[in-house]
Amino acid sequence: MVDTQLAQTSNVLFNVAFVTYLVAMVAYFFRLAFTRVAVDGVPSGTRAGERVGQVATALVIGGALVHVTSLVTRGLAADRMPIANMYEYSSWLAFLTIVVGLVAVQWRMGYRNVMGFVLALAVLQMTSALLLFAEAGPVVPALRSYWINIHVSSMMAASSVLIVAFGVTALYLVKDTAERRVAARSGERFGGSTVGAAQSGDSDGADAVGAIDGRVEGAALDTVDETHARGSADEDDDVVAGPLAHRDVLSPVAFPVVPFVVAAAFTMIVWRAPVAALAAGSVAAVLGIAAWYAVPHLPAAANLDSLAYRIHTFAFPVLTFGVIAGAIWAQEAWGRYWGWDPKETGSFFTWVLYAGYLHARSTRGWRGRRAAWVAVVGFFALMVTYYAVNLFVVGLHSYAGV
Amino acid sequence: MTETTNAPTPLREPPRHRPPPPRLPGPLETLGYTWRWLRRMSTALWLLFALAAASVVATFIPQEPVIPPTVRDWRAGVDGPGEEVAAALDALGMFDIYGSWWFMSLVVLLLVSVTGCLIPRTRMFLRTARRRPVGGRNLSRLSNHAAIDTSLPPDEALAAARRLLRRRRFRLRRLEGDDAPNGATQLAAERGHAREGGSLVFHVSFYVLLAGGVIGHAFGFIGQVNVIEGERFADTQIAYGGYTPGRFFGLEDHRGFTVQLDEFEVSYYPAEGIDTASAERHVPLTPAEFVSRVTFIEDGEPVATDTVRVNHPVGFDGMNLYQVRFGFAPSVEVRTPNGTLLFEDSVMLTDEGASTWVGYTRVASADVDNQLLLELVLLPDAALTSDGIPFTRTPEPHNPRLVAMLWFGPLGLERNIPASEFDRDAGRQLPQPLILAPGDTGTFEPLGLELAFTDLPYYSGFQVSYEPGRGVLITGAILMLGGLIPSLYSYRRRLWVEARPHGSGSRVTLAGVALQRKPTFAEAFGSLEEDLRDSLPAATSTADTPVKR
Repeated sequence: MVDTQLAQTSNVLFNVAFVTYLVAMVAYFFRLAFTRVAVDGVPSGTRAGERVGQVATALVIGGALVHVTSLVTRGLAADRMPIANMYEYSSWLAFLTIVVGLVAVQWRMGYRNVMGFVLALAVLQMTSALLLFAEAGPVVPALRSYWINIHVSSMMAASSVLIVAFGVTALYLVKDTAERRVAARSGERFGGSTVGAAQSGDSDGADAVGAIDGRVEGAALDTVDETHARGSADEDDDVVAGPLAHRDVLSPVAFPVVPFVVAAAFTMIVWRAPVAALAAGSVAAVLGIAAWYAVPHLPAAANLDSLAYRIHTFAFPVLTFGVIAGAIWAQEAWGRYWGWDPKETGSFFTWVLYAGYLHARSTRGWRGRRAAWVAVVGFFALMVTYYAVNLFVVGLHSYAGV
Repeated sequence: MTETTNAPTPLREPPRHRPPPPRLPGPLETLGYTWRWLRRMSTALWLLFALAAASVVATFIPQEPVIPPTVRDWRAGVDGPGEEVAAALDALGMFDIYGSWWFMSLVVLLLVSVTGCLIPRTRMFLRTARRRPVGGRNLSRLSNHAAIDTSLPPDEALAAARRLLRRRRFRLRRLEGDDAPNGATQLAAERGHAREGGSLVFHVSFYVLLAGGVIGHAFGFIGQVNVIEGERFADTQIAYGGYTPGRFFGLEDHRGFTVQLDEFEVSYYPAEGIDTASAERHVPLTPAEFVSRVTFIEDGEPVATDTVRVNHPVGFDGMNLYQVRFGFAPSVEVRTPNGTLLFEDSVMLTDEGASTWVGYTRVASADVDNQLLLELVLLPDAALTSDGIPFTRTPEPHNPRLVAMLWFGPLGLERNIPASEFDRDAGRQLPQPLILAPGDTGTFEPLGLELAFTDLPYYSGFQVSYEPGRGVLITGAILMLGGLIPSLYSYRRRLWVEARPHGSGSRVTLAGVALQRKPTFAEAFGSLEEDLRDSLPAATSTADTPVKR
């Protein structure tokens, strides 16, 4: 029933894609290293850097094509949609993360220096897929429904978009810290790095619309442009601050240590494998140091925040739809819409946290960094729901063959 | 010594201002504070975080309504953090978070918060959305503004702009004469109220979903029933094992129809690359399909037949039948040495792992001290390991063997307990089990009781439920998504167009402002400007009117 030849092909292609992504990731980081940060704070490329960047892009696209072929052959091998166990799901997550990164980060916004980090997140997903590898096989009756395509694909799409959003949010927090410290050091007035901070926009509950109406023709809206300019760099003061000051103000100790601890602890708790925990921690530490190195080369914090918000905005309706589709499927399969089984509660608190992020963006005092931290917690909830609930907790949702 | 000045003395001393003594707010005031506090967005945020935190805890601590065996193990200290910790969790109500009073209060607070926010915002929205677009002043000071020179006279240029804005679904208003804010006739345009409208719809959907859930819960019912092949059950209260009726679902709401299980089939995917006929260990096979063929009987007459499988429930007379589980139910007969039939039944077994099916049944009891119980273990595809240990090769009944053990003594079965919870310590077990193939008979020595293994049917496990409120829930879901998307993507924006005579034609001023999503608006404004430029014929160039590029 299972075409082992195709299944083998699928595995080989997966490995090829994995290596390609790894090389592309390194290439993107090389491009970042070959970028000069000019006096006005805007990174500009060197010829070598641009060349390496083009190679990196070519590698990513090639890798993605190989990857999707691996997924398609896997589906053909098992004679079903390849979204039925954690290996296949993680593989899809990595692929979609890269697609979203290419479209939203590289092509739409041109932030090539951020792509390295997106690729790093995708590579981590591929690694987890390898750890969770399961042979291609048929599915149990509970998963034999057309709902699997609707529910699982939307959760997959939402998750991959949220992974990219997390990457951008994390970089925003880092860049914002750097900008604030540089501004504090050179004593300039800092207007707040988020575009949202200066505008009235939506504010607290009942006062919202009154405030909106009163401000329409006001000059308040023009301050947006000024905030942009202030946030990214100040012409006079940069002679004192220097473009690489962003890196100097950040302590290089926290950057490897914190990701190491978080990644190692997570891996340890879920898989109880000290070697894997050490490996995951080291990879996270390397990424942390890369982030520290990359800070001056990143786009302005305000721009990163704006991009993160737009990506989260795209993901939230998809996530909502995914949860609703899951409830409808649960009714068909188990006779009840919502039973508070661990996966359901997991998706619930993930959804609530991201709803909290959107609320925070509209609440005075929460915009900017505090909202970004809510998004980070939301991402953590997403990872916990996906990994810990599947592998750690007993419930109806445990994937067949994990 | 008093000072004398030329300044006139005040007629009287200004009253000395003493701060009033602090007093506790009265009950109405407190209510006011609380109400206003609840209505704030920051409060809603904290309530949402609390909700999320409660759910996190409920994910990692087993919940009794969901998975009672694990909770039992935790309480007993067999599993989980230990007996003392479990007792502490129990005291805090952590084993049923979603049913606890504090979770309910959290949800109530959130609902009050949403209501308190929705009422004024809805009122404001209805007022604002109906208002006509307002005129704009100082258009050149806005960051989004452009000037286009055209050969058309002002009125025609304005008409072209009107057509363009109409196509982009802007609400329009013409301001001229005294109404015109900057002297020239102005076209004021506005759209994007869907942002607030969508948000309101999204939040209203919570009430709808809640209503649907409450209706389903209060007026519906869920029951679990296991039926052996060839037998039937009726939709009445006593038929069901697990029975959870809603508050307003009474005995008379049962339909009373009968369901007969004609046939049950289960098929497995073949094992890849393993010869199951000679396997040395249990080979777990993935079930491909399990199907029940049922007949619905009303008033003694068969009315309909149907097939029930997982993911394909069957409806009849407003009730739904779901295929949930299945198992083996070996038929056994127990006879005394002189041939009297003591016991005859099919015993439903449960899968205890590795396709080993176990079950218990009372056989008979003379009095409290003399009770008989059978412990049955079924191996569907029985074989022996090289060490002589029995196991089952596959889940399929290729070579079934029933292992029967007899228990006797004061087993405690006079109490109303399931047979599996008999008193093992007080009872005694006959040391020699009987191993029977279907059709065999064996004798329990020295008691002389005869056991016949007559047949091996399947049983099918159904869930029968009545679910009112489905339509309400679906409506709620549609409202939720339908309101969410405009609330995130729509944004309020205003545009103003003026045309003044300029040279031989006119100069058209276009300006706009957005309250949200300003970068997006800046792009949209750019494309609008381009479209307007394309739709207006260029001005015939003269020496002193350079065409704006």
